[in-house]
Amino acid sequence: MVLDVNAFIGKWPYWPVSISSPGDVAQKLPEWGIERACICSTRSLFVNWDDGNIEVGRAAREYPECFIPFACLGTFELSHRVGGHIHDLALCRAQGFRGIRLYPQHHSFHPLFESFVDVICEQAAALRFPVLLSMRAIMNWGVPSLDLSSMFGLIERHPRVPWILSGVNYLHEIRASVAYLKKYETVHLETSCVMGYEAIRKLVEECGHEQILFGSAAPIQHGRANLEKILHARISDIARESICCSNARRLLQL
Amino acid sequence: MMIDAHVHIGKSTRLQIDVDGEHLVRVADEIGFEKICCTDLTALFYDMHEGNRLLYEEMRKFPDRIIGYASLHSTRFGEEALQELERCANDYGMRGLKIYSTPQMTIAEPATIPILEKTVDLGFPILAHATPLECEYLMAAVPECRLMMAHAAAQPYAHGDWNRAIMAAKRYPNLYLETASSTIDTGFLETCVRELGPEKIIFGTDIPLLDPYFQLSKVRDTNVAADGLKKILGGNILRLMGLA
Repeated sequence: MVLDVNAFIGKWPYWPVSISSPGDVAQKLPEWGIERACICSTRSLFVNWDDGNIEVGRAAREYPECFIPFACLGTFELSHRVGGHIHDLALCRAQGFRGIRLYPQHHSFHPLFESFVDVICEQAAALRFPVLLSMRAIMNWGVPSLDLSSMFGLIERHPRVPWILSGVNYLHEIRASVAYLKKYETVHLETSCVMGYEAIRKLVEECGHEQILFGSAAPIQHGRANLEKILHARISDIARESICCSNARRLLQL
Repeated sequence: MMIDAHVHIGKSTRLQIDVDGEHLVRVADEIGFEKICCTDLTALFYDMHEGNRLLYEEMRKFPDRIIGYASLHSTRFGEEALQELERCANDYGMRGLKIYSTPQMTIAEPATIPILEKTVDLGFPILAHATPLECEYLMAAVPECRLMMAHAAAQPYAHGDWNRAIMAAKRYPNLYLETASSTIDTGFLETCVRELGPEKIIFGTDIPLLDPYFQLSKVRDTNVAADGLKKILGGNILRLMGLA
């Protein structure tokens, strides 16, 4: 069983990607060897996070065996504020979402200087609701990225949140992540952008396998290629299984 | 036959690398690469003479497995660089050239032109870590040289823009794209093949910087036809190096 904690539905604005609808993704993931995936809509990143979440909820209802819905949360626009909206993670959970994602680099907010982020984190810690914090949506230098100090500053401020660090690629980013994985057992790292030579083995050697989660950023990124580096990593079968599935199941309380 | 056209050997603290031929051949064996085309990191970033000599020593240990790229740490060494290329071809038996560009020290300048002309004389293909714009400059200057754009623009200085790389390769018959990158965008290879044909795509992994298994999978686990894959995974680089 392979459970992917970082997949998408929706269109990709930067170049043509032929797989985008929930049906396309639900069909393609098993071909790549991925049975289940936590999804978010790219509409949430590029258009409106609320609208994207509606798509995700619908997709999860249509393909319950394949998709685990994550809600993407961002700033409230002026029109939201007039209505007095507030982020409510209990409501998210009641609606079927199993975690949330934050993409500050796509939503014009700084994670350390917006009070709503702290509100979200306090709720997530209380509810043990996983929060995926994205450094980059995919491994590409043309897409926006979050700086390292903001990412870890937020974790330091809210260490009880069940964090999923996402989009980490460069060696210094991985080293910093390792330090936080060692410091806080609540911090996890997903592998979608971990591309280095022997990187998975080194990660496991340095901080064990319990906090590492398979992520692909499929279908924008090639799901099978991303899985291959886990399948061929020089790690124990127990570690491999944990990374591919059981760590995520535990974190998501499945 | 699978051949990896983009491999590094030697030492670089910046890149966190210290590997010899024995290590790389062992990795190649595990994956099933029959040959690996290597560039020495000392030659590429510090001293071409010392680094190319070190690579030659590794080539002698594994003559059937390691194909050498001559590397130049700068294109601004004039006649000295041309003589080094001659040495690498005639004394060391190397089969190509590796050059590296950064925004601070671009290779898209007149000093590079005699080097490109020399590669034409020697029959060397060039693996150029360069942006599409830089490659277009070089191809316009010496259209008969055979240039492989390392990473197909999927590298930081080119902002990962492989779509732009395809546009450049469409304009120049002798501009090829090499696949190694930490990007694994779905549809990358299919788009390259559709737009350029499989003859213009060269497989590489960039080991020991990048994991080779996802590099191979992003090429092999695609919709590209078997005969095209055969060219991409080895036939093309052998042809360019005159080894087919």
